[in-house]
Amino acid sequence: MQLIDRYAYANRLRNIDPAQKTALAVLVIGLCLLLNRPAVGLVATAWMGGLTVVRAGVPWAVVGRVLLAEGLFLVLAVVGVALSFSTSPPPPPFRSFQVGALWIGGNPASFSLAGLLVSRALGCAAAMNFLALTTPLMDLVHLLRQLRMPPVLIDLICVMYRFVFILLERMQRMHTAQQSRLGYATRRAALRSSGLLASRLFVDAYQRSTRMQTALESRGYTGDLRVLPLNYRYDARLSVLGAAVGSSLLLVWGFS
Amino acid sequence: MNPRIHRLRGIRVGWGVLALLMMMGIHAAQARVVESANPTALGQDPLNMHIMEGFLPPMWAIIWFVVALPFWIIGLRQITRLVATKPESRLLLGVSGAFTFVLSALKIPSVTGSSSHPTGTGLGAILFGPFVMSVLGGLVLLFQALLLAHGGLTTLGANTVSMGIVGPLVAWTIWKAMQNRAPLWLTVFLAAALADLMTYVTTSVQLALAYPDPMGGVVASFVEFGTVFAITQIPLAISEGILTVIIFNALMQTAVNELRTLGVQGA
Repeated sequence: MQLIDRYAYANRLRNIDPAQKTALAVLVIGLCLLLNRPAVGLVATAWMGGLTVVRAGVPWAVVGRVLLAEGLFLVLAVVGVALSFSTSPPPPPFRSFQVGALWIGGNPASFSLAGLLVSRALGCAAAMNFLALTTPLMDLVHLLRQLRMPPVLIDLICVMYRFVFILLERMQRMHTAQQSRLGYATRRAALRSSGLLASRLFVDAYQRSTRMQTALESRGYTGDLRVLPLNYRYDARLSVLGAAVGSSLLLVWGFS
Repeated sequence: MNPRIHRLRGIRVGWGVLALLMMMGIHAAQARVVESANPTALGQDPLNMHIMEGFLPPMWAIIWFVVALPFWIIGLRQITRLVATKPESRLLLGVSGAFTFVLSALKIPSVTGSSSHPTGTGLGAILFGPFVMSVLGGLVLLFQALLLAHGGLTTLGANTVSMGIVGPLVAWTIWKAMQNRAPLWLTVFLAAALADLMTYVTTSVQLALAYPDPMGGVVASFVEFGTVFAITQIPLAISEGILTVIIFNALMQTAVNELRTLGVQGA
């Protein structure tokens, strides 16, 4: 998590208007879903992975690792789509084999659907990764404010974003402390320690929120957390690239 | 193959196996990224079963958004009213959202190995009610999509329905129905365990609807899957329930004032 957040702040596309980056990601996700072809998904994966590495300067190892994890998960997830399980041998066009009393079978249609799902979801995931790895959450908050998201929600997101990291650090410290005292040595102890940890974390979170309330109120807080937006710039080259991505996806769709 | 599959012999289990594999897959895959990303952390693998970006066809993605929308609207209204009457609840809600997110990274031991879990949503539903929790759940899922590359934007509606609406609704209903009629630990246990179970059942239903089994069809894969899935998930839900009881008991001992301020009855 800290990995993605770190590159979101330190990449070469950081000061480009978040609206532009979001538009690109949404365009690719939309095209992947609507065109619905395996080749489109694969081309989209290559484009978005490439853009993240080449234009944003995120190391390819990082981009690859995130994408690989998603790919592994996907391949496992579509096994159920590709294969069917039954107690009797399935009729053709199913091709099947027997494991014990269980027949595992699949037909060409189910295999191609599985392939389509993997490539489509991978293309969408690559587009999401592009957005996540180039745009910090606070920039997206700025965008959401422009899109007229209710201010209460925006405040909630700001507070959450700050506290996620604070609480995570707290939790890791408590976990280390418990572990060094054999708190997770047995299953029973682990359950007890987790419960203690969660309850202390809750109290800590609660008390922090009241302290923060006091601190903010004493500085004139009326329920609006304002953050100065960066001076974002519009990147013409990214728009051209976006148009190239879009048209290449359409081309691939037309040819497949 | 996994030894569990032998136990399931004799039942058609297309989607059941899918779900199992998804759970194992996300553990294997996600844990690896997370560990290398953050070696000191407890593996921050998130709630272990979200539908990934791009996995649902557009029609189903939209349908689940439409289902989630009324809950979000009512929840937002309640939050706005809450914030107007009690300004301090603004920060409290934000911190609770963060707490839910962080708690999903906490691992608990279970029969099937250690696992992450959506404890926070059940607890949150007891504290704030199901509608507010649907909004918080949506935000938590947004964070998971953007900070962990887990879940997604087009599947946000579907994931909100399972984790942010069905789970909290179940927890809250049990909490309200059984309060003062059963021992507190039993109420908390059932609320958390059943909320957990129903979250997974909902996800499986969503998947079965979008991709019905070619041999069994939607309804068949529904029933079979529900049975099988419930069986494999029950141990996990039990651990979940026990953990929430431990958390709740610890809170009752050390944080009575905080709970009373939040309006938890019986505290």
